[in-house]
Amino acid sequence: MIECPSCGRRQQPLLICADCGSPLAATLDCFAALGMPRKLTIDLGALERRYHELSRMIHPDRFASSVARVRDASLRATATLTRSYRTLRDPVARGLYWLELNGEKLAENNKRVPPELAELVFEVQEQLAGMHDAPADSDAACELAAQVVARRSQLQATMDASRAELERNFVKWDQRPDEKMLTLELKAILSSIAYLRTLIRDVDRALENSKAA
Amino acid sequence: MARIFGIDLGTTNSLIAAMEDGAPRVIAVGGNHSALLPSVVAIAPDGAITVGECAIEMEPHLTVERDGRVSAIGFAGGQYGAVIRSVKRYMGLGGDEIAPEDRARYTFADLSGSVVRFQIGKRVLTPSQISAEILRALKDGAERALRAAGKDEKVERVVITVPAYFNDGQRQATKDAGRLAGLEVVRLVNEPTAASLAYGLNKRATGNVAVFDFGGGTFDISILSVKEGIFEVLATNGDTHLGGDDIDRVIVDWLLAELPDALKLDRHVWNSARMAAENAKKRLSDVAETPVAVDLLGHSIRKHLTRDALEKMAEPFLARALKRCELAVADAQLTPADIDAVVLVGGSTRMPLVRQRVAAMFHKEPLCSIDPDQVVALGAAVQASVLMGTQGDMLLLDVVPLSLGIETMGGVMERLIHRNTTIPTSVAEGFTTAVDNQTHVDIHVLQGERELAKDCRSLARFKLGPIQPQPAGVPRIEVTFLIDANGILNVNARDERTGREHSVDVKPSYGLTDDEIERMLEEAIDLGEQDLEERLLISYRNDAEQILGALRKQLGEFGALVDVGERGRMDEVVERLEAARTGTDRELIAKLVEELNEVTTPFAERIMDAAIKLALEKKSVEELS
Repeated sequence: MIECPSCGRRQQPLLICADCGSPLAATLDCFAALGMPRKLTIDLGALERRYHELSRMIHPDRFASSVARVRDASLRATATLTRSYRTLRDPVARGLYWLELNGEKLAENNKRVPPELAELVFEVQEQLAGMHDAPADSDAACELAAQVVARRSQLQATMDASRAELERNFVKWDQRPDEKMLTLELKAILSSIAYLRTLIRDVDRALENSKAA
Repeated sequence: MARIFGIDLGTTNSLIAAMEDGAPRVIAVGGNHSALLPSVVAIAPDGAITVGECAIEMEPHLTVERDGRVSAIGFAGGQYGAVIRSVKRYMGLGGDEIAPEDRARYTFADLSGSVVRFQIGKRVLTPSQISAEILRALKDGAERALRAAGKDEKVERVVITVPAYFNDGQRQATKDAGRLAGLEVVRLVNEPTAASLAYGLNKRATGNVAVFDFGGGTFDISILSVKEGIFEVLATNGDTHLGGDDIDRVIVDWLLAELPDALKLDRHVWNSARMAAENAKKRLSDVAETPVAVDLLGHSIRKHLTRDALEKMAEPFLARALKRCELAVADAQLTPADIDAVVLVGGSTRMPLVRQRVAAMFHKEPLCSIDPDQVVALGAAVQASVLMGTQGDMLLLDVVPLSLGIETMGGVMERLIHRNTTIPTSVAEGFTTAVDNQTHVDIHVLQGERELAKDCRSLARFKLGPIQPQPAGVPRIEVTFLIDANGILNVNARDERTGREHSVDVKPSYGLTDDEIERMLEEAIDLGEQDLEERLLISYRNDAEQILGALRKQLGEFGALVDVGERGRMDEVVERLEAARTGTDRELIAKLVEELNEVTTPFAERIMDAAIKLALEKKSVEELS
């Protein structure tokens, strides 16, 4: 239960007081904060409309002349709202958050190469090492850099495909809520996306360095 | 409820505006009914303060008298008083963070502290205090203008704009300035976002807007999505040390190229050249070629600057700005073709080259129907009315420009809040102890995009505790990092077991503490006499050091221009000053500095003569060959 700083009514935690419409600094999960059903598939249009609607009601700009107590509630409620919106808007962040809600967490800085990516990763790393060793400005370095650029678009395409697959699976998982399988599959696909993301970042950094040199 | 005013606290000019009959209007606070108050603050040797046009007249410069003689006038810095311009470049910086090109301009009391401190006459002032003088001048000017219009209204609550790319320390310093000026800063608003409000873009169809804000000292690019009155910033990027000032500096270098280094650094010469450079740059927005002249003692530098040459000088700075644009568009997950409208803000966007490049980048003609000098202040007034609840349909959702994180094992920066996250936002992080019976946990908060803590900017250090003695890893403390709607960090900590709030001992890495601000507020009423003595002594010593160093350099370069008797008189004063400098008699130091100035004046004039002759000869040789 939470008490409204404006009218004093005690109520179920929400971001807005059911009585007077003032902001409430409630601790809520991302779905509850935005009043969205706890599902992996989300109607992004509805999500944005809801976010804008709630922002108009609780944003600190609306309470600039209120007493400190209400200003503080508005600040905290809006912080919860914006963080929830960002999490749910992005499919990968939403998937990771779903795992977290179910007591699972992707290992940070996962070094284990997802098996289906093994070959690709091996080739990229070989090229990056070659680029690192080749003398700057040499023909070999330029050629390798061109290869890495081509490889980068391949990585990006693989990543885009994984993200599309993630969203396709969201629909499937929502219809067949077999918790155990779902968690396993979700984890597998999210860790390969996370792995690709790190790899692309490494490639970008290597390309940036070779440009600087 | 008192009206909220909008203030653009700019690098070059500052303005104040308010809503009048439903439309934002600037208030004439400058001379000649101008809305622009030059952000220039003069502090006389006795501590008297002047802001605006009148302060510019007190800048050290060379002037041609009626009889044709050139003389050096103005407050030369240090004990002679000083005139500070572009103080915004120093806001929120530590003494060791001043850009090299900004270092020679003024006398600083101390370059090791967490805050830049100017040494001026009898006072030591921080950038926040100097900005507070600008804010006070705006407040007084606006109240005067309102009275003249028959309205007895006080300016007490304000919105102040800041560059979108300002970090936490720079924002805090701006807020401090407001407090020191006796104003309630209801909100800090990002300049490009304010500009988009001034254009009333919500009345247009839904779309993406890029705001290109190239001012006197700072550059910002913000990408916004506008939909049914909601202005949502998608990404922002910028450089808080990139602006028209930098272009002026390159013109000055070109203008003074033939002078010896000792003369180039002379504040009178430099300022005169800077004024000439700025004016020439402005003229070249309308004409293709212009004469530029600086009158020096007995001679003058006369050159011609073409628009082509100016554009070559400006090119590297513009390239830096455009690179930032690319990054911002990419961060917004858009391409330039997705941008529906481009808005130009800031005086530097008057340069035709800037307009061409921006148009080429976004494939469309930028909007510039509102005066680029006024648009930010007008937008601030619109945001002020949003905060008063009189613009029901509008809402601004801005972002934090730089990532925020903490230092973890091995000096790595762990990002907790990513750049371009909508604010207000918060993140909770759990902390525990590493050894048995540990009573405190130290947390180092950082801001920046680099991987290593040492490459990011230190924001603050927190000490959590006291924690009850327990085995390592048992205490569970949850720390909430919250960035408010001003883009400023707030921290609080809670014991997860007891639910009790923990005290957080904050040590900002840069900037002023609350106690220091309190002290400054008191000081403003009564100039604390006590440590004044000590500071004065330091400032006189610094002056002595400066003049001795300059003389040494000049004697090395132009020793042949001094005759034996003159050299003897100089050496004698130098010797006495060297001795006095280590003592505590500041009156004596001041007297000897004065004396040394006197005996070296003919020498200085001869150097100037010789240098100019040399420069002219060299030029004619070049022309002949």
